Amino acid sequence: MSVLSVRDLAVDLMTGAGVIRAVDGISFDIDAGETVTIIGESGSGKSTTAMALLRLLPDDLAVITGHAEIAGRDVAGTRKHIGALRGRTVALIPQDPMTALNPIATIGRQMVEAIRISNRGLSRTDATRKAVGLLRDVHIKEPERRLKAYPHQLSGGQLQRVLIAMALSTGAELIVADEPTSALDVTVQAGILDLLLEIQETTGAALLLITHDLGVARLMSDRIHVMKAGQFVESGDVEDVIGNPAHEYTRTLLDALPSVGPWEEVPV
Amino acid sequence: MRRYLITRLAQSLLTVWFTVTAVFVLLRLAPGDPAVNYAPPNPTSAQLDAVRAQFGLDQPMAQQYLTFLGHLLRGDIGESFQFRRPALDVVLDRLPYTITLAMAAIVVTALISVPLGVWMARRADTAKELGVNIGTIAGQSMPDFWIGFVLLIIFAVNLGWFPPSGFTSGASIVLPCLTIVVLQIALISRLVRREMTVNLAAPYIGVARARGVSERRLTWGYAFGNSAIPVVTALGTRFAAMLNGVVIVEVVFRWPGVGELVVDALKRRDFPLIQATVLVTVVLALIVQLLVDLLYPLMDPRVRLGQEARR
Repeated sequence: MSVLSVRDLAVDLMTGAGVIRAVDGISFDIDAGETVTIIGESGSGKSTTAMALLRLLPDDLAVITGHAEIAGRDVAGTRKHIGALRGRTVALIPQDPMTALNPIATIGRQMVEAIRISNRGLSRTDATRKAVGLLRDVHIKEPERRLKAYPHQLSGGQLQRVLIAMALSTGAELIVADEPTSALDVTVQAGILDLLLEIQETTGAALLLITHDLGVARLMSDRIHVMKAGQFVESGDVEDVIGNPAHEYTRTLLDALPSVGPWEEVPV
Repeated sequence: MRRYLITRLAQSLLTVWFTVTAVFVLLRLAPGDPAVNYAPPNPTSAQLDAVRAQFGLDQPMAQQYLTFLGHLLRGDIGESFQFRRPALDVVLDRLPYTITLAMAAIVVTALISVPLGVWMARRADTAKELGVNIGTIAGQSMPDFWIGFVLLIIFAVNLGWFPPSGFTSGASIVLPCLTIVVLQIALISRLVRREMTVNLAAPYIGVARARGVSERRLTWGYAFGNSAIPVVTALGTRFAAMLNGVVIVEVVFRWPGVGELVVDALKRRDFPLIQATVLVTVVLALIVQLLVDLLYPLMDPRVRLGQEARR
């Protein structure tokens, strides 16, 4: 059974200008240990898909139709199950780590809170010990000291590692990573992607990756879905899609990728 | 921290000096002769001169001012013209009543406005919220003396639940307190609502919701924690303003506080008593503001006192 199963999912957004169909009938599955990437430009509906699956869109602003199940529990038709799934079965790695944590609470407090959501009855002391271990797992130095720090005292890369550690703490079967590196410096991005690959290997979680970056998609994914105007225009194995793009939009995305070659002398 | 406190103290002293000086000058520029109030009826000019000499009002203004400052530095603000005892003592006798009323009013205001504002933020732009909004704004728009009289007529005269005036028992505080609260609810609850609406839409709320944090914690722990600074600042400012005497309310209910005292002192041109009232209330207001500012770093770890806040 797939960890995530999506059938004909559609999302209508109520905006001042009228109703916009942001996601227009998409279907896909992710099995345990698999990484599936939705790639597309801004406004293609890729992030809306992720937010809809987590039911983070307000009911008065977004109408969700179609079917979606996380670990066999309906999340599209009802809000009944998502509350119990969040922070336990499904975890989110957000887009901008710099604004993703409560600025007035320490890292430790927020980690302990997250740990105790998925581990009911765990004492604060044990949860703190677990937090230290998790920070070590995501390669953060001096974890005990970092736990006492506030978000503004850490760098974007460190914060994203903290957020990955929090996602790890849940033991989630599905991790949704919404543009996990797009707010970070290029040098930091590679480290975060490595870490994502590493934790997926150790946990065997299913990973839904949202990105606009073909390089990221190629590095991370088993399968990719190219999204445009709310629809998948091309789907399949990552190398097939990139090596032999069938749809013109995919070719455009590929063309937009700067090719890396040897430095060339530019005549002044 | 120490440097910050020293700077603040210097600023406060400057504020106090400026305030007492302004009041000193304005009182003497204002029309009306205090001597008339304290001389025998139908006084002769000799009698008036005697009173002026007694109060030191026969001196040139600059001379009076220097004398006043000299005494002030020694902690002496002069004798009240009407009570014939140190003006500061007269004010300090009344102060507990005003502080009690202001405390009660600010606590009740906070207890009502904060949950109300949070409720409004959670139901922003619904018909129910609009209804509550209209109600609180109506409360804010009514003149305080009128609210006071209406409450008096209903609860003191007709129902007889609370004493109508003065301070006779603990229940005496209810009506004046309520009158002030009605005026403050709209201001504070709408501030809470605005801050909460902004903070509930912050990215970290969505991320926390995605990791299963309960709505109650998101509202009170996350969004309200981040709204605390402006709300506490506003409550502190309102409280400091009330310490200046909630003049009209105190007069309507004959509450024996500083506000009632200062009205009387103004009518009788009791210069030292007015000076003492202003001095005491300005010092109290400065203390309240300092306390609020000292709370900032506790409410937001990004605030460093003495430096610009990072936000």
